[in-house]
Amino acid sequence: MSLLNNILYDMVYHSAPLILAVLGGLFAHKANVLNIGLEGMMLMGAFSSTLFVLITGNLWLGILISVLCTLILGLIFSFFGITMKSNFIITGFGINIFVAALSSFVLKYMAMANINVSSIVNTAGLKINIPIIKDIPILNSLLSGHTAITYLSIILIAVVTVIMYNTKFGVYVRVVGENEEAAKSVGINSAAIKYIAVLIGAALCGLAGANLAVERMALFTNNMTAGRGFIAIAAIYCGQAKPIKSAMYAILFGLAKSLAINLALFAGPVSGLFEIVPYLMIVIVLFAVSAIEKRRTNIRGFKLE
Amino acid sequence: MKKNNTLLKNIFNVLFPVISALILGGIIIATIGENPFLTYSVMIKKSLFSLDGLLKTLHFAAPLILTGLAIAITFKANIFNMGVEGQAVLGAFFAGVVGFTVKGLPPVLHITLCVLTGIVVGMLFALIPALLKAYFNVNEMVVTLMLNYVVVEIVKFLSQGVFKDPASGYVSTYPIAESAMFKKIFGSNLTVFFFIALIVFGIMYIVFNKSKLGYEVKAIGKNPEFSEATGMNVSKKIIIIMLISGAISGLAGAGFLMSEKYRFTLDFSGSPGLGWDGMLIALLGSHNPVGILVAAVFYAALKTGSDYIGVFTNVPKDIVGVIQGILILLLSVKFFNEQFHLFEKVKLLWKKSSSTDFNK
Repeated sequence: MSLLNNILYDMVYHSAPLILAVLGGLFAHKANVLNIGLEGMMLMGAFSSTLFVLITGNLWLGILISVLCTLILGLIFSFFGITMKSNFIITGFGINIFVAALSSFVLKYMAMANINVSSIVNTAGLKINIPIIKDIPILNSLLSGHTAITYLSIILIAVVTVIMYNTKFGVYVRVVGENEEAAKSVGINSAAIKYIAVLIGAALCGLAGANLAVERMALFTNNMTAGRGFIAIAAIYCGQAKPIKSAMYAILFGLAKSLAINLALFAGPVSGLFEIVPYLMIVIVLFAVSAIEKRRTNIRGFKLE
Repeated sequence: MKKNNTLLKNIFNVLFPVISALILGGIIIATIGENPFLTYSVMIKKSLFSLDGLLKTLHFAAPLILTGLAIAITFKANIFNMGVEGQAVLGAFFAGVVGFTVKGLPPVLHITLCVLTGIVVGMLFALIPALLKAYFNVNEMVVTLMLNYVVVEIVKFLSQGVFKDPASGYVSTYPIAESAMFKKIFGSNLTVFFFIALIVFGIMYIVFNKSKLGYEVKAIGKNPEFSEATGMNVSKKIIIIMLISGAISGLAGAGFLMSEKYRFTLDFSGSPGLGWDGMLIALLGSHNPVGILVAAVFYAALKTGSDYIGVFTNVPKDIVGVIQGILILLLSVKFFNEQFHLFEKVKLLWKKSSSTDFNK
């Protein structure tokens, strides 16, 4: 029973940053901007949140500054990608490599192997226990004892769905993505819409990074996002950029990670190999989704996108 | 005249980001209270202006030329093989395994065997995303990236377990046998591997510029539907391109292991890694073999020089990675093209200034 509880708890734990990145990335994806920089933005969130919590000594101020930092990163991406019309993919990779190098540069300069803020942040105290639910078995590990940003991520699934399908902004984003010329002809400022879409993604990735580093572990280590940004891109892709569907894929990947961690305990010597399960699963899920898609649209020739 | 103009534009499109990135890197160095001019001069002096340093630079350029070419051929076809890093690491690992398990072979045979292992492993590993892309249209970028993480975990597992050398203080495999090492030539840092890289460069130059395949790669990159419609088997070509890319990546990893590290450690590929360096080099060289050669030497000089900046200044050598990131960002934009007329403006200014000079 406790194993099941652990698996469920870890599933939510590992899904939260993914859901945030997926929800953030959705907007850019819908606006036809391929944001490969999600990984770098998440890493920036993780790095700058721990760094500024360490500097300011205040958890929420640190997280706020880190969101501002990722917004700057989002502005850089938008400026290059949208205003200067660069190759999105290469710009995104530039962002990823730049953030990874910058964080390890700063760590080296400060002569630290990692940034540890456990003296400032009490991670156990950040867990919110919900009164009645915490006593119900199974549900308690799913719904109780998580952190504020985790709850926010789940609420945001609904919020993003509403924004995307029931507001003017959501319509604009989708119109710009589907037919930019048409959007321009009816007077929508497509560049501005794209900027906002990327910036929403950046802010949510900043939160995802803060969730990963400060809220959970009070620790930053080099490259700690470990491909989560790309997992998010895969989830968006599999879920056809629909908020609920994509979030479900994010949770599926969270489950894979959780299973890998919890079952590795029983695996003995090969437990190290369980780490590859989530990554392999993404390849398999992508394969399944693409294969079905290909069968459905059975035409000769294909697009390289 | 027109061709001349595009060449000039290309040169400006590369020079402008390089200079800007170096300036931005200099600003970062200055903000941590160090002297950027001293840092850069140490970097360049140690890597280019001494015979020893120059040979070392060329030695480090060898794997970079290869990963650069491996990325360029896929980029040119508008396929994003981000798995060059994983393919290189896996190729290196298994070349290393062959290097220390097989014993008693003459050097030439042993080296050939190791190199072939690296190439085959790289190709096999590239085959997975290639098949998925060609027949099921699975996004190759996400697949190759995910497989990179898989490779990292697998080699970590293997080098902590079966192949761990208990005699070494950290996680690493056994060192490869003497007969599998590329020997240093005349006591310098240069090894035969550099010349192998040059041979591959030559072959790729011909493939890119003179062969039918090179033309087809370009055609697929420009318009895959049209290529398919004109009777080209695009799926098959994608697999061939990926296999070539994987083979070169595997060779790069194997050669780097056999000429420099001699054993596989977890930080083998360095940070940010041979594959990512290759991406920068392919961009810097505008996917053109000669450009890649120049870019690889330039970047190897930065890397070699960065080993020394820690000795003479307090700047961490990771500054090269920061400059690399900025450089990739800037290289993604074509600053000098029809869109911004920056080139024409600069030329106009140039004409004006030179004509006024003449009038004086």
